[in-house]
Amino acid sequence: MGDPSSTQEVLRAPLTIGYDFKRTTGPVIGAFFTALAEHRVLAIRDTRSRVLCPPVEYDPDSGDPLTEMLEVRPEGTVTTWSWVSTIREGQPLQEPHALAMIRLDGADTSMLHVIDCGSPEAISTGARVRIRWSAEPAEGFANIECFELLEEDRDG
Amino acid sequence: MNAERVAVVGIGQTKYSAVRGDVSLPGLLREAAYRALEDAQLTMDDIDAVVVGKAPDFFEGVMMPETYLADALGAVGKPLFRVHTAGSVGGSTALVAASHVQAGLHQRVLTLAWEQQSVSEAMWALSFPVPFRQQLVAGAGGYFAPFIREYMRRSGAPDDVGVLVALKDRLNALKNPYAHLHETEITYDSVKDSFMLWEPIRYSETCPSSDGAVAMVLAAESAAEASAAASGVPPAWVQGTSMRSEPATASGRDQISPRAGSQCAADVFAQAGISDPLQDIDMVEMYVPFSWYEPMWLENLGFAPEGDGWKMTESGRTAMDGDLPVNCSGGVLSSNPIGASGMIRFAEAALQVRNRAGAHQVDGVRRALGHAYGGAGQFFAMWVVGTDKP
Repeated sequence: MGDPSSTQEVLRAPLTIGYDFKRTTGPVIGAFFTALAEHRVLAIRDTRSRVLCPPVEYDPDSGDPLTEMLEVRPEGTVTTWSWVSTIREGQPLQEPHALAMIRLDGADTSMLHVIDCGSPEAISTGARVRIRWSAEPAEGFANIECFELLEEDRDG
Repeated sequence: MNAERVAVVGIGQTKYSAVRGDVSLPGLLREAAYRALEDAQLTMDDIDAVVVGKAPDFFEGVMMPETYLADALGAVGKPLFRVHTAGSVGGSTALVAASHVQAGLHQRVLTLAWEQQSVSEAMWALSFPVPFRQQLVAGAGGYFAPFIREYMRRSGAPDDVGVLVALKDRLNALKNPYAHLHETEITYDSVKDSFMLWEPIRYSETCPSSDGAVAMVLAAESAAEASAAASGVPPAWVQGTSMRSEPATASGRDQISPRAGSQCAADVFAQAGISDPLQDIDMVEMYVPFSWYEPMWLENLGFAPEGDGWKMTESGRTAMDGDLPVNCSGGVLSSNPIGASGMIRFAEAALQVRNRAGAHQVDGVRRALGHAYGGAGQFFAMWVVGTDKP
């Protein structure tokens, strides 16, 4: 008695929070997601003429609003990667896979995504990959299931 | 206090509405920010730091939004940080921004506050059951209703004072193009006959759920004078700033007239050299989310003796043409993007001092009070702005 630190049983209870929040995407991100549902990838030109993909609403340097959206290719080049060999719950693929930065053809920036390529020997910086679209229509980014190696690389 | 002088030189507001589905969150903020810059005849390049505020993250489900706003708010390469003090956050954000100028750290600070109530449900965000904590089963209105009832008992106020406040504020809102609610058909009877939500608070005596953002540019003395020369609009000089906090529940705490509120008011009036606030303050923008808080705050702030606040409301003294106009903008009862609501009070007080409030301008405002409260009536933020330098 008297010493709170000696208490054996401390009350504990779970706190699980859920609510269906909504989002407003605005003209740029909204257009990007809409195009993904049509299996097209949109980028945006910044004030220094770089092509940013994924697109952003405001210039990363000046903050000016960006408006010139353009389509880039669903194929691209791996700029850096790491290998996920142990699969745990909640990971994007149920097979070992690469996490990679991928610069799509026509873009000057890279985006992070997953590459389904079997083994780490199959991938390298500079490898050529393409989008594998999800079999079912999905929301936004979920339309990209993952990336896979282009045939030319698999053969070569 | 050897503080640098600071003034409001730019004010920008979005139109407040139930849903702003056409813009992203950064796009919404940017609208207010650039209107404030335009008002100040400045560009983002002139701004030294950005201070933003919003209500709890659960209100929108966006965790720490301040971390991805640097590009939209032109803050690349500058300090950008967030303030949070529940519903009073808009007020305390402006005060934190002002303190950066007063401290001599920055010449021009952009400050803004916002809320997108449409993407969530404030009632839910305030009411989900946290283990071992008191649950607010009916949101803010259910929490405050018993305190209002107690105010009515103590003061002997007639039942319809809340109706009068709501009618006044919603009619004032018709003169403010930015206000969310424009109820042209509103009457005493329509307010009185509206649905009883949390007795004694009726539907029409309750704030709406709004999307919107407000921004201000605060400037040090020489920068403020330069802006005023360029824009032709006088600065609103900050003559006093104060914040106070107290626990939500504590033995002896008076929920009807929290000590933190009266101490905060006494402090801000003392800084501004005001001994008789009713005499020296020309108008008030007061945080009144539920109608009865107007008479309650009139007493808490020292504009009326205890028990007499309702008489000022009932006799029309807080109307646009009264001797202490309160909430000429329509107040929180007409627009409530929660995180922004406190800053809107501060900005509207400054608008009046700068003689820029348009149709809801009161003639000859030399000094105005901006007031915000938050949490369980436990966080207070206030400023006095005026035409004269402090």
